[in-house]
Amino acid sequence: MPESEAIRLAQQGSAPAFERLYRLHNRRVYSLCLRMVSNTAEAEDLTQEAFLQLFRKIATFRGESAFSTWLHRLAVNVVLMRLRKKSGTEASLDEMTEPDDESGGPRRDFGGPDLRLSGSIDRVNLQRAVEQLPPGYKAVFVLHDVQGYEHNEIAKIMECSIGNSKSQLHKARMRLRELLHEALRDKAREDRKAASGTAGGKD
Amino acid sequence: MSTGRLVPTQLSSKSRWKVAGLVVPGLLLCNVVSAGPIRHEQHFKVAAHPVITIHNPEGLITVKAWTKGEVMVISSPASTEVTVDAEQAGNRVDISTRALSDSVAPADMKTDFQINVPEDAELQIHNDAGSVTVANVLGDMNVETVAAGVDLEDTTGYLTVKTVGGAFQCLRCAGRIEVSSISGSFKLIDLKSTHVWAQTSTGNILFNGQFLPNGTYSLKNYSGVIEVRFSPSDSFDMSATSLKGKVNNEAKLTPSTHEHHFMPRWGNALFGTFNQGRAKVELTSFDGTINILKRD
Amino acid sequence: MITNECKKFLTWLETWDSDQQPLDSPPHARGCSSCRAVFEDLKAIHAEAHTWSANEPEPPAHIWSSLHAQLKDEGLIRTPEAERVSPPVVSSPGWFANLFAQVPRPVLAGAYLSLLVAAGFALSGPFGRPSNEAIWLQGTQVVASPLSAQLDTFEQNPMASRGYVSPAVAASLHQNLAIVDNYISLCEKSVQEEPENEVARDYLFEAYQQKADLLAQINERGENVQ
Repeated sequence: MPESEAIRLAQQGSAPAFERLYRLHNRRVYSLCLRMVSNTAEAEDLTQEAFLQLFRKIATFRGESAFSTWLHRLAVNVVLMRLRKKSGTEASLDEMTEPDDESGGPRRDFGGPDLRLSGSIDRVNLQRAVEQLPPGYKAVFVLHDVQGYEHNEIAKIMECSIGNSKSQLHKARMRLRELLHEALRDKAREDRKAASGTAGGKD
Repeated sequence: MSTGRLVPTQLSSKSRWKVAGLVVPGLLLCNVVSAGPIRHEQHFKVAAHPVITIHNPEGLITVKAWTKGEVMVISSPASTEVTVDAEQAGNRVDISTRALSDSVAPADMKTDFQINVPEDAELQIHNDAGSVTVANVLGDMNVETVAAGVDLEDTTGYLTVKTVGGAFQCLRCAGRIEVSSISGSFKLIDLKSTHVWAQTSTGNILFNGQFLPNGTYSLKNYSGVIEVRFSPSDSFDMSATSLKGKVNNEAKLTPSTHEHHFMPRWGNALFGTFNQGRAKVELTSFDGTINILKRD
Repeated sequence: MITNECKKFLTWLETWDSDQQPLDSPPHARGCSSCRAVFEDLKAIHAEAHTWSANEPEPPAHIWSSLHAQLKDEGLIRTPEAERVSPPVVSSPGWFANLFAQVPRPVLAGAYLSLLVAAGFALSGPFGRPSNEAIWLQGTQVVASPLSAQLDTFEQNPMASRGYVSPAVAASLHQNLAIVDNYISLCEKSVQEEPENEVARDYLFEAYQQKADLLAQINERGENVQ
């Protein structure tokens, strides 16, 4: 069943159509939720909530944007609302970035002299670093670099301008770079300690 | 689970006989009273985030939030030719007006509703004529009318409103707002919304609310007036185009260097940045007037 | 040491769109090791993250089961018998049930909108614009006129339905239909006068969409509106 037909039938309450739409998009939505909250139980809960909201509102889908864009917008809102509640503040979605966002974002760090990331990035390190990003940066990074959305699509999903999407992505990547450099420096420090400890212990 | 009770405004038959035995004018009075509308009240226990749907051909619908975990529905049909069906399925309450025979006159279908819901309720309302008023409800909302006006106050969530000719007013609303109409006018006052999309063909649009950072505000009509009011502390990227009408501007805009901006090539256009340009504002009209004015 | 060139490069990097621009090092970065380090690091982060989408996990099966149960509870899923385009009409149908006693609105509006898709192709000048503007303009007129006539035919032959429509609603629907018809004729005139005006074409397209939706609403309410 093509997606457009599934949407039409879902608007009439067809269970197979609902299931078809779920099967078409569940992996992406779940993946997005998982990357945002790094907790499988919560990601499952958020995935279910996102699809529930989608199916409740499907009658209002007018086709002015791609269905997947509309769905991802709902999913991102569900995730960011949940993170907002958890943080205990009523910060608006646009404030869920670095506190120094006003001054231009992460400092322009040229990094330590000889530590290059190329070749040093692995999945685990990068995943840990992504987990530490503020929610707004994380959302744009996941949508663009992981899921491959273009900036014009992210602008619709995140309800921001294309310029803003690019800026947030850049800040996310620069922050990740800082975090990865810190991790590398920590590792280098540990290695040096381990090496000097071994050398000192030799007879 | 519904706990309904009838609240009749008509006298019981015993009372009527007593009055008839006394004074003729009294009998007349009883007849007038006995012809009055019937109010029907129902209560439904619900959990968090209930969904309430209302389908009504004509009437005044008022929805307010309260702190109880239940939905209260008070319906007042204009005649005895119609009834109100209110059913609960899980956490969803469906309310609709139904004719009791095939020959009901349209005017007899009029039914007014007063509904109290938990504040996190989601609403779906279809009401062709009359009015729809919603206050303090924080869940998502979808409202469709033909001629009925829609008034929302202190609401949040994803608000979708569609009318044919009904006017729309939104006061102190947050969340996302999408409203469309053919001839209805819109008043968007004291909004704290991150996303506003408003489109009408011949109605006027007044926006007097905050332009939140990273918010997007798109106001469009064919003819009529689009008026936005701004404060010196607002920050937005603005594009305002009227193909055949005027654009009047009181904001000192500076040209923007964002490569993605659309440069209009037709009509009267105005384009630039106010302060840091953190919100995005697009105003479009075919032959109407666009006014960008300082807030008083 | 950060030079002015480095500052310019870092400013450019903020708007660098890896979707659109090549991944080769820009000129300044080739000569400046610090800036090259930043650029290469960002590319590496992008490249590593990009590999993750190949292994998107499947959510557990229970999510769909709970979702399905909740949709049924809320009445969003209708029974298989009701999935037919024309569900059986029950006696003394409710006002809402009547709206779906014939063809549901999304199907009606969809039928009208399919005409609009054809109109969209005809009006999408920039994508299929012939070198000769006069030919394109004539083509647009040739397509738009029968489309307009077909929409008018729908308007004149409504499907019967058992609607209960108040005089105020009927008047509002007809009044707004006249408004939209006027809007369409003005937009058509504007498109004829300025064929390259994309804004005018967008307005015309939207006007057709509005008319389609309005006709679908009128048809739902059937003969009571005529």
